[in-house]
Amino acid sequence: MSTVENRGLDRRRFLLQLSAAAGLASVGMTGLVRSARAAQPINFYAWSAGVDTVKRELAAFQKESGLTVNYNNLPYAQYREAMVTKFVGQAPIDMLWVSDAWLPEWADAGWLAPIDAYPRLMAYNADVVDFCTESTRYKGHQYGMTYYTDYMGFFYDADKLAKAGIAAPPTTWDELVAQSLKIKAAGLSDYPLMVSMARESWLIEFMSAMVFSHGGRFVDDNGHAVMDDPTHGAVAALQWLTDAVNKHKILSPACVELGELNGMKAVASGNHAFALLPRYRIEALNDPQQSHVAGHIKQALIPAGPKGSQTTVAWMRMHAMSASAGQDKQRGANAARLIEAFGGKFDGQYAFQKAMFLDTGTAFGVKPLFKDPEIRAAYEKYGDFAMFEKQQEQARRKDVIARWFGDWDEVNGTAWQSALLGRSSVADALKHSAQSWTSLSKQA
Amino acid sequence: MSTIQAPGIGRRWLAKHSVNASDQRSALLLLSPMMAVLFAVAVFPILYSLWISLFDVKLTRPRSAPFVGLGNYTQAFADPLFWTSVERTLVFTVMSVSAIMVIATLMALLLNQEFRGRRLLSTVLLIPWAIPYVVDGLMWKWIYDSGYGALNGALLQLHFIDKYVVWLGDTAKTLPLIANAFVWKEVPLATILLLVTLKSVPTDLYGAARVDGANLWGRFVHVTLPSLRPGFMLVIIYEAMMAVRHFDLFFLLTEGGPANASNVLAWHIYVETFRNLSFGSGAAIAYLLALATFAMSYVVIRTVGNRI
Amino acid sequence: MSYALYAKRIGLFLASLLFLAYVLAPVLWLVSSSLQREANITSVPPHWIPHPLTLSSYRAIFTAGDPSASTDDNASFVPSTAQYLLPALRNSLIVAFAVVVLNLIVSVPAAYAMAKIRYIGRDLSVYFMLATRVIPDIALVVPFFLFIRKLGLLDNLGALIITYLAITVPFSVFMLLNYFESLPDELDKAARVDGCSRLQTLLRVFLPLALPSLVAVILFTFLASWNEFLFALMFTQTPASQTIPIIVASFTSDFTTSFSFINAAGVLAIVPPVIIAVLFERYIVSGLTAGAVKG
Repeated sequence: MSTVENRGLDRRRFLLQLSAAAGLASVGMTGLVRSARAAQPINFYAWSAGVDTVKRELAAFQKESGLTVNYNNLPYAQYREAMVTKFVGQAPIDMLWVSDAWLPEWADAGWLAPIDAYPRLMAYNADVVDFCTESTRYKGHQYGMTYYTDYMGFFYDADKLAKAGIAAPPTTWDELVAQSLKIKAAGLSDYPLMVSMARESWLIEFMSAMVFSHGGRFVDDNGHAVMDDPTHGAVAALQWLTDAVNKHKILSPACVELGELNGMKAVASGNHAFALLPRYRIEALNDPQQSHVAGHIKQALIPAGPKGSQTTVAWMRMHAMSASAGQDKQRGANAARLIEAFGGKFDGQYAFQKAMFLDTGTAFGVKPLFKDPEIRAAYEKYGDFAMFEKQQEQARRKDVIARWFGDWDEVNGTAWQSALLGRSSVADALKHSAQSWTSLSKQA
Repeated sequence: MSTIQAPGIGRRWLAKHSVNASDQRSALLLLSPMMAVLFAVAVFPILYSLWISLFDVKLTRPRSAPFVGLGNYTQAFADPLFWTSVERTLVFTVMSVSAIMVIATLMALLLNQEFRGRRLLSTVLLIPWAIPYVVDGLMWKWIYDSGYGALNGALLQLHFIDKYVVWLGDTAKTLPLIANAFVWKEVPLATILLLVTLKSVPTDLYGAARVDGANLWGRFVHVTLPSLRPGFMLVIIYEAMMAVRHFDLFFLLTEGGPANASNVLAWHIYVETFRNLSFGSGAAIAYLLALATFAMSYVVIRTVGNRI
Repeated sequence: MSYALYAKRIGLFLASLLFLAYVLAPVLWLVSSSLQREANITSVPPHWIPHPLTLSSYRAIFTAGDPSASTDDNASFVPSTAQYLLPALRNSLIVAFAVVVLNLIVSVPAAYAMAKIRYIGRDLSVYFMLATRVIPDIALVVPFFLFIRKLGLLDNLGALIITYLAITVPFSVFMLLNYFESLPDELDKAARVDGCSRLQTLLRVFLPLALPSLVAVILFTFLASWNEFLFALMFTQTPASQTIPIIVASFTSDFTTSFSFINAAGVLAIVPPVIIAVLFERYIVSGLTAGAVKG
């Protein structure tokens, strides 16, 4: 072979090797670049609520403390799956938001660090509503500080009710049926009631609100499944919902594909007269920029079932610390500072909670803020503060919080959908659900 | 020619298969990158996943992973949800493959004709194929939306319905609707494969048939269809394999619901693995799916292949 | 014009219309929805033609994450993950490019060997290669996940590159194999007589001739990487490594959502692959059919 050809071949070989190296280098480089930037920042994971507010508060925190925070947010509907994957993948996490329902699962898996070791954080408990503090505790340890607490609210469109000649919102679920039929007859709405029954993180809250207001429970105080019990269980609630869909036709069969977010949008479009939605949604519903029915939406106490009361479900979410942060002195201290700034006082006041409330309407767990005149004034612009407090007094926490909640939630949600769609009887669906709870609780 | 440099025995063995040693060496060298990649990233995971399926691995219980042998498999067989997902998968696959065969055949027949604008059609045909499943899913989800979707809107304006109808949320319609989104995206590839087969039919076969007095329909049945058999087989096998393992649309459109109406095996495996966080049982079910896929392609090749 | 011919032309025309409608209608609706204002997009029945037409959803995509950008009331529904759309575009491009390059490096020699060299284990290697693709992706997720985690590559584009390489190589080799087989063996022998080694023969003789097939491999591999969803969902955990399909999927479940925004994001996500497919249509078809059409 001539030397010219030789050189040509060498050049080609060189180019091949170069591109291979470039390919591999690009893999390594992204890793290098990232590690250079990561000089001990706080890795903060949250779901995407109040993103702008969080960014603002983080800016203030970073300025004051000199620490950097990597803020990551994920959609709430996928938060659990995404975070679990990250925990398993050992992604660097320092501070994160946790929902009360997942606390046992994540604590038992060893992914969270208790905050008992930080007396500064524990000192705030005195100011916090009892239900919230209880929800942060598991197996004798406290795992977080309250980020926010809220409950499933019952809303009605005052305008539609007035047009249908209804004087006051219903106080019982049966009354709601009558009023809905009237509204339907008046041509004001095809499906006057909106309840979201899609399988997502919100489903358990919707179900619990129905069950509690019907005077029932999923699980008794000893952790035994009672959901299939005709008197004390979820039967009345599920039966009422099934009838609402199939018999009275006041709730659309599409509710099983309607998530909380799209449900809120549907109400904001003026499609419904009654809705169950997280209470903080009233801010958006009465905001002219986001809602066609702004100004008409009012909150009322959740209707009661025949043997029930006007009790709804309340939940809380917390700022927590990851186990890996807890094991490192510096990371733990930094994470604790962020937790305190958000869950406690920053600059002398409960700044984060107040900001979140004023910006997005999400409620707080700290008692002093209830008396804050600014808070009351802001709320009165779109809601009834007295009603807010009244329903809060009649809210109870979910009774299904356990380590196997995630697994059981899948089965239970599917069972409810089956009943709603007429593919299974209410009794069978709840029996299946109860069996799942019992067998899951037996597994060590 | 290069000289043989292999050691004595090897040289005889290679020579017996009329392969020279330098060829063997070159071949192995050229194959080595591919083999390395496939072994590391395909074979190893396959074996590793088989290993995991023999243990009870729960991510939320990281400190203990007891050996259960075939326990995960027997548990799967005993689980009614497993059989439900098998049934859903079969229904989805049969529906999709049938629809793809019909539509792709019609399209291939059309594209096989000579007419102005044919190039435009075959170019446009590639659009669904190029679109990622994510966008395909979102697009159809928006069309199927019970509140604002185009399907409802169009049917309403055409007076086929007088009120908006529930689509994905209606368990009777869920699988066919998802199948439609799947078929729409798979038809281009099937069409191209069939078209190629059509083009390889020698035109004198048609000529001979015409001479024999066959009309359009007769030519279709006696010349076109038989010639398409190899193409049919390829498309059926390929699309069936794609349908059986499909995941993306089920994740995007219905998440296996409502009430398990669209809970196919791929979704069931995902839930078991990444929601219930049970890696052992998830791997076992995945293996069952893999075995089924192997068996299925074997069966199809034997039955349809024998008829060629 | 005879009646039969006239009827045939009408028939072809109608069939073509039906064809175009089936293929294009959903996509056109996607585009139309992306150009509508949020308030109009929820009308019953829908506005088929956007009226008024607005580019605000697209503007929102490009200005997302920029706090100084003015927000009109249409853009107030922009999901918070919108700012990751352009970085995701970049990630998708990096991954696709790397996979294409590595794919060529790995597949071309293997396909040549399988096509042109007699060696022991040839049939076995072809079957083995194809067999690796019979296992469904979902079955590989768990071991891949644990394997990638062990390598410390979770949430790193490298994980995707390696994975996509494994799943695209068999098809690339298969395509190239078919094409190489259709090239005459005499070329190979002639080059060898000239004293070229196997590698040199490949690079200097076959590669230039196989250009159409190479282009097809590049296209298929690019599209496969661009569109892949399941593995990207599993392996990427932060916007630093997430690709387009993941970000687009995340919009639907965000805290706030805008239908027109989601549709606009969808349009953006399909522009690169559709342009590529349309421009290189000829190569795609010939790549798939290489060797199949004889005479």
